Amino acid sequence: MNLMNLMDYHHFPIYSIMVLFLGAFVVAACGTKPSKNLKNPAGARAWIALLATALSLFFLICLVKPVMLGGEIIAYWMGNRAIAGGYAIGIALEVDALSLFFGLLIATAVFVSCLYSIRYMVHDDCVPQYYTLYCMLAGGVLGLVLSGDIFNMFVMVEILTFAAVALTAFRTKVYGALEAAFKYLVVGCMGSTAILAGVIMLYAQYHTLNLAQLATLIPGSMNNATKLAFAFLYIGFSTKAFIVPFHPLAADAHGAAPASISVLISGVLTKSGIYGIIRITYFLFQTMGLGTMQFMLVFIGSVSMFVCVTMALAQHDFKRLLAYHSISQIGYVLAAVGLASGLGFSAGLYHAMNHTLFKGLLFLAAGAVLHETGTTDLGKLGGLSKKMPHTTVLFLVGAFSISGVPPFNGFASKWMIYQATYQRAVETGNIGFLAVTIVALITSVLTLASFVKVTQSVFFGQLPAEYENVKEVPFGMRLAMGILAALCIFTGLFPRLVTTYLTEPAANAILNVGSYIRSMGFKSELILQRADFSQAGVWEPVSWLLILCIALLAVTIVAVASKYDSVSENREKNVAAKYQLFYGGEENVFSQVGGGDLFWGFKHNWRHYFGFMHELHSGVVNDYALWAVVALALAISFMMIVL
Amino acid sequence: MTSSILVTALQYLGYILIFPGFLFCFLCGNLLIGIDRKLVARMQKRVGPPILQPFYDFFKLCGKETIIPAAASKTTFLLAPLVGLAALVVLQLFIPIRGFSAFSGTADIIVLLYLLLIPALAGILGAAASGSPYAGVGLSREMVTVIACELPLVLVLLAIAKAVGDGTGAGLCFSMGAISEYQIAHGSLICKASMIPAAIAFLMVIPGETGNHPFDAAEAETEICEGMLAEYSGAPLAVYKLTHAVKVLTLTSLFVALFLGGVGVGIPAVDALIVFALCIVVTAIFISLVHAVTARLKIEQLFKYYWTVVSGLALVSLVLAWYGL
Repeated sequence: MNLMNLMDYHHFPIYSIMVLFLGAFVVAACGTKPSKNLKNPAGARAWIALLATALSLFFLICLVKPVMLGGEIIAYWMGNRAIAGGYAIGIALEVDALSLFFGLLIATAVFVSCLYSIRYMVHDDCVPQYYTLYCMLAGGVLGLVLSGDIFNMFVMVEILTFAAVALTAFRTKVYGALEAAFKYLVVGCMGSTAILAGVIMLYAQYHTLNLAQLATLIPGSMNNATKLAFAFLYIGFSTKAFIVPFHPLAADAHGAAPASISVLISGVLTKSGIYGIIRITYFLFQTMGLGTMQFMLVFIGSVSMFVCVTMALAQHDFKRLLAYHSISQIGYVLAAVGLASGLGFSAGLYHAMNHTLFKGLLFLAAGAVLHETGTTDLGKLGGLSKKMPHTTVLFLVGAFSISGVPPFNGFASKWMIYQATYQRAVETGNIGFLAVTIVALITSVLTLASFVKVTQSVFFGQLPAEYENVKEVPFGMRLAMGILAALCIFTGLFPRLVTTYLTEPAANAILNVGSYIRSMGFKSELILQRADFSQAGVWEPVSWLLILCIALLAVTIVAVASKYDSVSENREKNVAAKYQLFYGGEENVFSQVGGGDLFWGFKHNWRHYFGFMHELHSGVVNDYALWAVVALALAISFMMIVL
Repeated sequence: MTSSILVTALQYLGYILIFPGFLFCFLCGNLLIGIDRKLVARMQKRVGPPILQPFYDFFKLCGKETIIPAAASKTTFLLAPLVGLAALVVLQLFIPIRGFSAFSGTADIIVLLYLLLIPALAGILGAAASGSPYAGVGLSREMVTVIACELPLVLVLLAIAKAVGDGTGAGLCFSMGAISEYQIAHGSLICKASMIPAAIAFLMVIPGETGNHPFDAAEAETEICEGMLAEYSGAPLAVYKLTHAVKVLTLTSLFVALFLGGVGVGIPAVDALIVFALCIVVTAIFISLVHAVTARLKIEQLFKYYWTVVSGLALVSLVLAWYGL
């Protein structure tokens, strides 16, 4: 085999997974002795991990041309095995536009977060081990989305769950880290077991594990055992996506894990869950046209987005708040994907991508605050914008994006989601979908409120005396945040580019199960269809921004001309009383308005709801395990009735 | 060729800077505020300021010194008012005046809903950046007011989207231009029975969005020293006052565009005058009269009012529109 043969792009999917696992192995082989370099205790191991993630990203980017633009589906048999006697017996990778879309998200987040880790993880013990686990986690998720058979999906789920649990508990000295990891372990394992049970039930009936072959066999021969398997698989992947009722785990895990790992848990792990749900519902069981299935996914998505945003409003820890928002945004994705229309898929996937970008950015900003101040308690922080101006600006980009402020990326995708849900409501005449549009719009403004709270209580307001010496974070960390912020702005300004080259091919892939099956070498009667991506509204971010810039320029010129900023005194430490805050003649005191009660007027009206939610989220792992069992029972009865 | 590009560019620049952009907003907004102040004064048996008082105030404030508190983040503190004003003026460009719209292909009603948030958000960020606890309380109330107004606004806009969508046969319609054209062809939306509750709800939202009595908990001069504006002085304060004036214009003209879009004669200049006259009427009744006869609501009462009474009205409209009435 010559070199050119090895560089054939058909090998790239396996390369991209392989480099990550290889990276994990090499890092581990380098031993556990910390390096003497205080700025990078992991030494060369950090660079190895960074190289591995960069290569993995590179391989996937190379696949964009054939898969996204060319519409090719890469079916790759490991060890040159193939179909024998009508059954797939080997391990296969199958990369269609959907897999590649998720793969790209994952690889990007993993690379950026790794870049950030190098300077971020300087205060921790056992940093060398961190990179081993990091690469394992990344490889696990990537393997999951590129895999072509369902048992390998389970194996990858196991790898990523254990790596994620270990990384959640990584800062063992942090209060609650072990507890969070334990909760995650218990419920995460219930999820993994559910997936395994589902796989077993499918294998017992169809004697194959290959996704494409299962997709040919299942739809025609649905029986009770299949439905049971569906329920198990659905619940299993739900725990990975942390959608309701598994959302409390995410909050604990995010609160305790290092920020770079929170990025992976929220931006990457939840995506693997969403990917799994899309694969099983639309490929294996092909419930595309089933109104009741659409109803279930959209309903759970809406409940997730609303419950989690209200839970976020009640939080007073920076990272826990972000964690709930993460699930709230995943709710948007699920609700849009559940619509099973071309526009819905495109919107949902777009939002999934944006979620990875802005949520990653926000977690990294939270990490930067934690890195410099040692706390993420919203009640203790304040006024950091003067000490960390770059972090503040980057955080604001993320906050605007997640709250859907035009022209950032969150707006572009949410706007598509509103249209998709409303269009579906009008098409079907079902008033339930209309309610989803309303819930989504309200959730968006509540998200904004929540981020106003964070902005006010962390970056603005008065600076507590103990943070007088806080400095801006190192360049490496700012660079990682800057990459994500730039991507947030870019994907917000050019939505057409994103939909044409990324989300619409992926949405078409979901709608064309037939070509997925045929590429693997099986027969399928399903015809090729093209989705309709027409939208009801218009939104031209670039021209809007152009107008805004001209307007802003005009205002600024007039303002500057009229001595807008006319303070000429040299303001020293002891400034004249005139430049103190306004207290009506009284002495200037420290009185920061903390995050806890910022939206009193809102919370007061909702006190019964918040009280109920407070009691429900007891923080006891037994309760959450019980929720998982109840959810499984409900899912089973639902599948039995409607399928 | 180059001259035609130049003419187009100048034309668009004219839209942005003169009509229906800055100059128009500046003049009409301040006039509306002047009329409002005069009317409220007359209703309270006072003489009241001259109608041109907002202009005098604006130029006076511009000449004053700007004080930046030691605790403030200077850039955000100074930039926020400018961004808010610019965003609001841009929003005004998208509101059609009986079929005439300067930039029709750029934004629809959902975008408009979000663009309305930007001035409030800019104000909130500026207030947060000032570092003042009064501003902290003010911004918290402002945010709650925004949440309170959002639900009725969403319901009203969705009802309109459905009603116009049914009328044109498209199913649903988010485009401002199409809503305007539909009204020119089929008469104003307010003439439809199903849209009347929505129109009333929208009118009730106007004082909330602009922060006028009785929904001015966020400013509350007597209580929290003007809240978000506590630390502002000089030119930035002038910009804030202007933003408030433009916001009154924007919301009233949005009401006219959404519900009274069929009124007019077809000549843009005359139509602009008619729209402005309608804006004055709406301001007089739903801002001035309401201001004169009510006392300030507490923030939790405000929230409850919007999410029950006003949203209820809007919901009635949405359900009626849904079933094609």
